[in-house]
Amino acid sequence: MIPAATILGIGAVTPIGRDLTEISRKLATDPGPLPRLFRVNDDLLSEPNIARSMRRADRFIKMATLAALDASTRSENACAGIPKEQIGLIVTSGLGPHCRGFKFLDDILDHGDSDALPTDFSHSVHGAAASYIAGLLDLRGPSLTTTDFEIGFEQAVLLAQSWLHHGTCKRVLVGAVEELGDTMIQMASRIPAAKNLSSAEGAVFLMLGNSDVPGLATIDAVSPPQKTDLLAIDDPAILLDNNNPISITARQTVTFTPYFGHSAGSSAFQLLGALLSLAARCPLGKPIASAPQPTTPSIVDNATTFRTSCGQPATLRIATR
Amino acid sequence: MRDMAMPRTPVCIAGIGVVSAAGADVPATLNTFATGRRNPSNSLPFESTIACPTFQVDADLPVLPPRYNNCRSLRLTMHAVRQALEDSAISRFDSATRVGICIGTTVASQLNNIPFYSAYRRDPDRSLDPVIDYLHANLARAVGDLLHTAGPRMTIVNACSSGTDAIGVASSWINSGLCDIAIAGGADELSRVAIAGFWSLGVMSSQPCAPFDRDRSGLNLGEGAGILILESAAHAQRRGKSHSFEIAGFGAACDAHHLTAPHPEGRGLDAAIQTTLSQAKITPKKIAFINAHGTATTDNDRAEGKVISRIFGSDFPFLSTKGFTGHTLGAAGGIEGIFTVLGLREGWLPASPGFVNQADDIPIAPTRARTAIRGEYAMSTSLAFGGNNSVVLIRRIA
Repeated sequence: MIPAATILGIGAVTPIGRDLTEISRKLATDPGPLPRLFRVNDDLLSEPNIARSMRRADRFIKMATLAALDASTRSENACAGIPKEQIGLIVTSGLGPHCRGFKFLDDILDHGDSDALPTDFSHSVHGAAASYIAGLLDLRGPSLTTTDFEIGFEQAVLLAQSWLHHGTCKRVLVGAVEELGDTMIQMASRIPAAKNLSSAEGAVFLMLGNSDVPGLATIDAVSPPQKTDLLAIDDPAILLDNNNPISITARQTVTFTPYFGHSAGSSAFQLLGALLSLAARCPLGKPIASAPQPTTPSIVDNATTFRTSCGQPATLRIATR
Repeated sequence: MRDMAMPRTPVCIAGIGVVSAAGADVPATLNTFATGRRNPSNSLPFESTIACPTFQVDADLPVLPPRYNNCRSLRLTMHAVRQALEDSAISRFDSATRVGICIGTTVASQLNNIPFYSAYRRDPDRSLDPVIDYLHANLARAVGDLLHTAGPRMTIVNACSSGTDAIGVASSWINSGLCDIAIAGGADELSRVAIAGFWSLGVMSSQPCAPFDRDRSGLNLGEGAGILILESAAHAQRRGKSHSFEIAGFGAACDAHHLTAPHPEGRGLDAAIQTTLSQAKITPKKIAFINAHGTATTDNDRAEGKVISRIFGSDFPFLSTKGFTGHTLGAAGGIEGIFTVLGLREGWLPASPGFVNQADDIPIAPTRARTAIRGEYAMSTSLAFGGNNSVVLIRRIA
């Protein structure tokens, strides 16, 4: 079986900020009244150094690119000397750049099929964000964009572990990105099964290396653990669902959803909260009332995120090195 | 990169299934190759002001459960999946078998229903059934639901290299021990959005496409699905099945050059090809032929032709089958991977459809007539938006 990977750097663009220290501080405080929508502040999407390269980019591409750049910058030392051909890229998104997609549909309907704008088309494909990231960072290894409405991030990490183990790459930049848009918000609000798909946006990226490389923590998407210090769940209702029993014993269970909201990329944000908990060595996020909690504060040395899809569990386990 | 890639354990190809404008199945496709008959259509299956040839599927596609049946890409997928499973002599999966599902697509991943959206703009309170259909149309998930499988799954949206990438990902799952069998390939339907999109980029031709030709004027879009059943050698042995073909290597590399145009010297494609050769520990001389991406756009064919000539020499046999199928986007890698298997199996290639005159800017010409093929190895190459380049190396072992 393939071994865990090492997390070398983290980048995030979230509704509660982009600075990891600031995000961690907010995760340690009560989230307060929940907004209806969890939006990323436009101020976070400015990066003067790359403004020219990003002049045609939309919010989807900007969120992904800036989170990826941050992860890359924060892992600079660990990636020094690694040829660009040996750094891979995996980007996952459930809804993709749907705002640009709807704009292209508007172009067609308003101006005719033969007069739609090419820039809107080329930026409306799922892989546009990966193209920007690869171009800005000059990443020449394998580059993949995937889509899933539930466990895209888990599958992306699993594939990254496989690439690292087989020597396809020495580093893999893997991330999830989702955006909010009025049309999907309106549509999703009328579809009960989709209510968690379009209420939040943001991006989380990790730079991963092989298990023998020193880093922040290890990460493993292959096998669910039996025990964990901290269990992070996107939707607490799953604890009450007899069809999806969680067979993981957790000392404490939290959710980061009141801070980041729900989206197809929720797993990535739960993982971000779990990683920051590891760094703080204490649980962040909102404890889930229906789950057992320790009577005294406990140190968090490992954490697990949990989701299900089609009755199959999908987990991400992280541990301090 | 090629020096640090570990040699891969070959992955068996247990079965194949394909549907495109070239034919509803493998026998029909081979008949098309033998006759050289092309059938582009000048009428679209939907309203559009753009006049262009497209390559459409003429087949009885399976009827799926109601929530899935409105997704033509999924119906194309299941048409090919069922062929491939039959070819593999697999009638069902037992609960102990881990089955990976990796499908490439473009159209199915987006809400592309223009009639619905047009009506929605006028009346936002209308039924959202098309949106619900879209939310059920993640191809890998849907195939897993329909076949009741358990195992890793992934829908790849890497534009035109998606199908080839899916074969690579599925192979890596089997090599990693994450599944015993994998259903891998690609599927895409014709879409008014894609037609408008490629037209806006100025890369579509108003004539039947002519890949690598001096007078090439752009691509034609097509639809279809190509599915391979991949299997670990150990599982094949347990089933008592032998195989004639295997995935001997896979390489992928990004140009990091431009959002839509390939690197002019094809540096990413070159790297991906070298990776597969290194994995299989063979030299370019061992490659019998290449099924090239060959879209008939000026930039793609020039870059790809340069790389093929540079690595394999100017007399090397290669072709683009998009003259028979059109550019099937996410399906292309799956369909052309299967065409590569067929070339090795049958021992011949058709003339590259649409090609008449060698181009001044391409130092190599594709097959001009039916060409006998001898050899163990062949490649299928795919280039995509975003500068993605993917190559699958297939070997005949029996």
